[in-house]
Amino acid sequence: MGLLSILKKLRSNTERELRLLLLGLDNAGKTTLLKQLASEDVSQVTPTAGFNIKSVLSNGFKLNVWDIGGQRKIRPYWRNYFENTDVLIYVVDCSDHQRLQETSFELAELLQDEKLRGVPLLVYANKQDLSTALPSSEVAQHMGLHLIRDRTWQIQACVATDGTGVKEGMEWVCKNIPVKK
Amino acid sequence: MTEVLPAEEAKQDRIITILSGFQINWMNLRDADTGKILWQHNEDMSNPDIEHEARVPKRILKCRVVSREMNFSSVESMERFRLEQKVLFKGRCLEEWFFEFGYVIPNSTNTWQSIIESAPESQMMPANVLNGNVVIETKFFDGDLLITTSRVRLFYV
Repeated sequence: MGLLSILKKLRSNTERELRLLLLGLDNAGKTTLLKQLASEDVSQVTPTAGFNIKSVLSNGFKLNVWDIGGQRKIRPYWRNYFENTDVLIYVVDCSDHQRLQETSFELAELLQDEKLRGVPLLVYANKQDLSTALPSSEVAQHMGLHLIRDRTWQIQACVATDGTGVKEGMEWVCKNIPVKK
Repeated sequence: MTEVLPAEEAKQDRIITILSGFQINWMNLRDADTGKILWQHNEDMSNPDIEHEARVPKRILKCRVVSREMNFSSVESMERFRLEQKVLFKGRCLEEWFFEFGYVIPNSTNTWQSIIESAPESQMMPANVLNGNVVIETKFFDGDLLITTSRVRLFYV
């Protein structure tokens, strides 16, 4: 499932330009996930010190996916990229037990932001291939996702490096893009 | 006697400051169906005084979907960074993209990739016609300020 086919599925939406925002701590796998969606080589991914954007155009419809670096020093800049977001995709490294609290805190901050109010949330529970990875249900519990009341959300187990679960998550995204007038 | 207005001078200073910390690190072209890189260049292509040349394999013209990707760094932060990219054939615009990035983080390195479906093969001009006549022109702005222009001429080999 490439970005182009995602865009084609979204054609029925009235909006002609769509914006997906990918966030998460450093080393969560955001860039790898984005490259996986575009069938690109994921063996040489380096930390993002800024943003990576993929823009897809098909028959006048545009899809922009924004992947913003997750390093601590970049996180204060995340807010600059919230506006007009249609779906928030949050990526978690499920093998990073030590930073589970940190990632939960960062997500909670995002969910409180006015600019992201009501924006549907997809959490990718990444790195499920690692033996130390927590299952997505446990990650959801740790992060308190079941307490979210002000938006629709979903958690999807995945392995960004080989694509497992990535397509399922994007299918959820396609179904949950809010229809704007 | 020429008198430069202070506002104009401030603009020029701002452009010089941004440009001195701005660099295009690499550009590439991919077959977007397979994600494979067909051409990549790793030198700074932001120098507006030079028209850069790219030797691209002919088979790119057979690709159903092509991606153009550029990676750039900026020392300065910018509030309203945007670009205008045009594909010119003998100076005539065949295709254009306008993209608004908005904020640019100070000391950041960023990539922008545009993915576009090709014209049907029947409407595609042959390689020998296109060869040396296609230029990808990318203009970078902060708001209304033009920072730099990058020009890359394509040769199909």
